[in-house]
Amino acid sequence: MDFELDEKQREFQKKVREIYEKEVSPLIEEYEGKEAFPTSLFRTLGAMGLLCLRCPKEYGGPGLDKVYECISTEELNRICAGMGAGIMVQGGLATDPILHFGSEDLKRKYLSPAVLGQKIGAFALTEPDAGSDASGIRTMAVKFENGYRLNGTKTFITNGTICDFVNVAAYTDPNRRGTGINLFIVEKEDLGFSVVKKLEKLGNHSADTAELAFDDCYVSKERMLGDCEGGGLEQLEETLKSGRITYGARSTGIGQATFDAILSYVKKSQRHGQPMRRSQAIRFILAEMAMSIEVMRNTTYRGAWLFDRGIASMKDASIVKLFCTESVQRIVQKATAIQRNLGMIMENPIQRFLRDARLLKIPEGTSEIHHLVIARELGL
Amino acid sequence: MDFGLSDEQRDVQKAAMEFAKGEFDPDLALELDQSGEFPESIWKKASQLGFIGLHYPEEFGGQGLGLFENILVIEAFCRVDSGIGSSLSTVDLGSEVILKFGSQEQKKNFLLPLTKGEKQLSIAFAESEDGNDFSSISTTAERRTDGYLIRGKKRFVLNASFANHFIVLCKESKEGWITLIVERDGVEVLPIEKMGLRMTPFGDLSFEEVRVSYANRVGSDGEGMVHVNHGLQAMGLRSLAQALGMAQGAFDRAMQYARQREQFGKKLFQFQAIRHKLADMAVSIEVARWLTYRSVAEYDQGRLDSGFLSIAQLEVGRRLIGVVDEALQIFGGYGYMAEQAIEHYFRDAWAIGVELGTEEELKDSIAERILGSEAIKNKK
Repeated sequence: MDFELDEKQREFQKKVREIYEKEVSPLIEEYEGKEAFPTSLFRTLGAMGLLCLRCPKEYGGPGLDKVYECISTEELNRICAGMGAGIMVQGGLATDPILHFGSEDLKRKYLSPAVLGQKIGAFALTEPDAGSDASGIRTMAVKFENGYRLNGTKTFITNGTICDFVNVAAYTDPNRRGTGINLFIVEKEDLGFSVVKKLEKLGNHSADTAELAFDDCYVSKERMLGDCEGGGLEQLEETLKSGRITYGARSTGIGQATFDAILSYVKKSQRHGQPMRRSQAIRFILAEMAMSIEVMRNTTYRGAWLFDRGIASMKDASIVKLFCTESVQRIVQKATAIQRNLGMIMENPIQRFLRDARLLKIPEGTSEIHHLVIARELGL
Repeated sequence: MDFGLSDEQRDVQKAAMEFAKGEFDPDLALELDQSGEFPESIWKKASQLGFIGLHYPEEFGGQGLGLFENILVIEAFCRVDSGIGSSLSTVDLGSEVILKFGSQEQKKNFLLPLTKGEKQLSIAFAESEDGNDFSSISTTAERRTDGYLIRGKKRFVLNASFANHFIVLCKESKEGWITLIVERDGVEVLPIEKMGLRMTPFGDLSFEEVRVSYANRVGSDGEGMVHVNHGLQAMGLRSLAQALGMAQGAFDRAMQYARQREQFGKKLFQFQAIRHKLADMAVSIEVARWLTYRSVAEYDQGRLDSGFLSIAQLEVGRRLIGVVDEALQIFGGYGYMAEQAIEHYFRDAWAIGVELGTEEELKDSIAERILGSEAIKNKK
């Protein structure tokens, strides 16, 4: 057993930390303020080889593993979770299924430019009436000429208004509930594809989120992932596992940022004429935060390590997501409470951490769904 | 003992609910939350109907009721909308100081215009960032032939840019701690943007040789801290009512959503995990309601113990955050979107949560009550 990052991993950590501080930090105020993603960041990070980290070298990616991806995710989310969301989707749900199930042509056409940040990807599964219940989607892909016609609405889509292509889940056979689904790549120029609206959110303001519509949107059959109808949700299995572990790194990043901010505040502040650090109550809170972050980080990297060895179960992934996204809530809540009104001020990042962290309990399986997944895998 | 409301109290409650439901348009609430505007026309209407200052004597424009009845109005308003309700709840902040310690002249001059919706009042006591530390107040009042000259700064003042008058805590070399009613003209207001309660103006005040007539001093020499304690007590009670109303409003919305939303072929409330969340929320609201009602009933009877108020503030604050957080979770992805009211309930709940005080400070105060302040001091 070895619980340390090796030298190469530590170097990578140092490198990405510096890059995100230099490239991402200066964008926060503007893009959080105007609730938009700075699209140029895709090219900036793409040129540095920091998008789609697990994409193999043959498609232009750096060919790194999940542990590296978590290192990068943690560091990026420590700076900004909103931008972290857009970058996460690019290297996860938008491209992972193409890598695993796309034809050689699709990989060349979409992966290579995505790795460089020349094309922005999105992923569309959730619908207004189908969130936790993914099998309940109503988007249909009906055979037409040499392809399919897509009809339906998708919502809460990260990178939705800025994407060049979007991976869309639709029923090719609505009679096979859950199994009759396929993934299709839709391009933004495709007729029948439109952005219904950009969505405003509690947090993750610099992430772009949208509702999308597909209205008789024709997609050639070559743009379907996999070579037969059905099995789309099953194709997502590994991607979802990976995504859930990524949420551990996202939580750890926000938790660490919050902890750093509140620790330095407590060290320099006085309350009722006494240094705050002298308060036992405050010391307990900070001790607990430090403990939580350690456990979150260890759980996340263990999950990533299992994933890299191909032995991570869905239960392992759900445990990482549930534990970390819940733990970070306590950290941001306590930090906000300590600062009182100071923590509420828009120029103070603490309130952003509170709003950003609150998201994590919802996407890629709500906390409730992960309880169900874990219970199911316990054989209950 | 009687835990029921009187017929008159029920009428007040009913009238406040009807007014709020009729006037607090949900779309307007979202719009004002975004723009951070004070709902001026709703305020005017509310005062015309007698909802402002109904606990003042009739000769000063009130209805001669207790603060209890005022709390019922605040609760109802915040239940219907956390933002609009809160902004109307604090237009006469500090009026209880004038009611209790002010001269007849002051009551006539300053309370009457509040009930008519012509003017607003606020308090400016604290100078530190956490808003509750009075150990280092440096604002001074200097006696001149024609009145006082004030110099100093106040932090985190509610209603900062809207109040016509502030009750200001200052130190005068001979008189000691005093409070003065200061007109806004001449006071520099520095607005601060906050995460929540965005319709309630918030900011810092700067007094550079502001002149105040002797007639505007409240009470007697050296009484300033007594006024502050009374003002904060009344404000604490108002905050409790805001918190209770918000928790109830979040619960109403979660109940409605759980009844209407379907996943996996069932309504959300048909899942035990969701039903139990709702049950927990109902418990929290009961706890919050009775702590609030008992506190304000005892205030009206002139026997509210500050230790008990701390108990109420601590527990209602915790319950509020818990209820609103779970309500948002029940809404899932929609809860995170600004188009659902629960999104601003979350931000507003935090803003009022920090007004109620930090756990550490409230527990200090409760511990002092149960152990005796002498025992604690001797230990130091």
